[in-house]
Amino acid sequence: MDEKHFQKIVDALVELKDTSELMLDLAYSSIILNSPELAREVQELEEHIDDLHTKFELLVLSSGFGPEESRDFLGLIRLGVVTEEIADAAAKMGEIVLRGLKPHPILRLAVEEAEETVTSAKVSEKSILNGKTIKEARIADETGMWILAIKRGKKWIRPKPTTRIKAGDILIASGYAEGEDDFKKLVSGRQS
Amino acid sequence: MDEWEEIEYKPIPVRTLLVEMKDLSELMIDLAYSSALFNNAELARDVLELERKVDNLALLLKMNVMIAARDAEDAKDLLGVSLVSSAADKISDAAADIAYLVLHGIGIHPAVREAFKRVEEQLGRFVVKRDSILSGKSLKELRLASRIGVDIIAIRRGNDWIIDPKGGDKILEGDILIARGAPSGIEELGRLAEGISRRLED
Repeated sequence: MDEKHFQKIVDALVELKDTSELMLDLAYSSIILNSPELAREVQELEEHIDDLHTKFELLVLSSGFGPEESRDFLGLIRLGVVTEEIADAAAKMGEIVLRGLKPHPILRLAVEEAEETVTSAKVSEKSILNGKTIKEARIADETGMWILAIKRGKKWIRPKPTTRIKAGDILIASGYAEGEDDFKKLVSGRQS
Repeated sequence: MDEWEEIEYKPIPVRTLLVEMKDLSELMIDLAYSSALFNNAELARDVLELERKVDNLALLLKMNVMIAARDAEDAKDLLGVSLVSSAADKISDAAADIAYLVLHGIGIHPAVREAFKRVEEQLGRFVVKRDSILSGKSLKELRLASRIGVDIIAIRRGNDWIIDPKGGDKILEGDILIARGAPSGIEELGRLAEGISRRLED
């Protein structure tokens, strides 16, 4: 099997893993913020991950492996199944808000780390974040908030250091409540 | 064959149980992927042990939730708690599925594993030996993140797990450290835990 095909399998698995973990983060955030919008995103991602999963399985099955390699490839298929299970668990949690169950104080306290909060803001043209990578933007240093997820149009992105922020992106961030104001200023490009 | 622990009701606050289930299940995902990608049987066994822990916590939580609900209103309020607890349980089962793969020799194709190592952060698992300079020190004193670039994500002490240890938490001889970081930092932590290296400077 060629190098290129391997790389495709790895990329697909990384995307599955990232998407399932993003769904978990968003599901917990939907409960903290009591946000049906985030909860709906989780449900949409659930459909998206089904597609990703099918593509991944087809990719693995078309590797042309021999009988002696079949165990190794079975391992890959099973890893894919696990990402799907995690995605299902996240979707179930998202249902809490969508079914109008108001998050019980116990739940919010448990899901929310002691003094942490979750917030979101849209990147404006004039924000200094526009065009920077997550690493360059140093948002955590500036505000004490870190980016959980980025929404770009219809797409959700799990941020990596090399992910570039663009105007129009919606950043979902978590951190100490004191940083929320600084974070919103930074993202919106408002002065003072 | 698994040995089944008898389950006994303990009055533990639902919040405490839920926080523990959530933290453990998230740790388990990290440990499980790492065990598969780096073909590490020890991490896989940790995952299976944690899975039993989460199962017990789930049952305790169910009992405490039942007792907490006095009427229909309470029951509805507590439904969300119960759903999050089942989700955490499901996640821990998924992590355990990965651990089984590792322990039953259903591996990940070595070439894929190599490729994965380039994109994923590595976890390290080390036993703190008697001679280690880490032993007896708090995380605050050690400042491992700024010195060698690793983050201790869990400490296992016998059957107890300290998840996301804080600065005041001390490392003791015999502890098992689970750490995340760059490969060079992870290697260095291994030498420090082993007692091979005794230098930890800024």
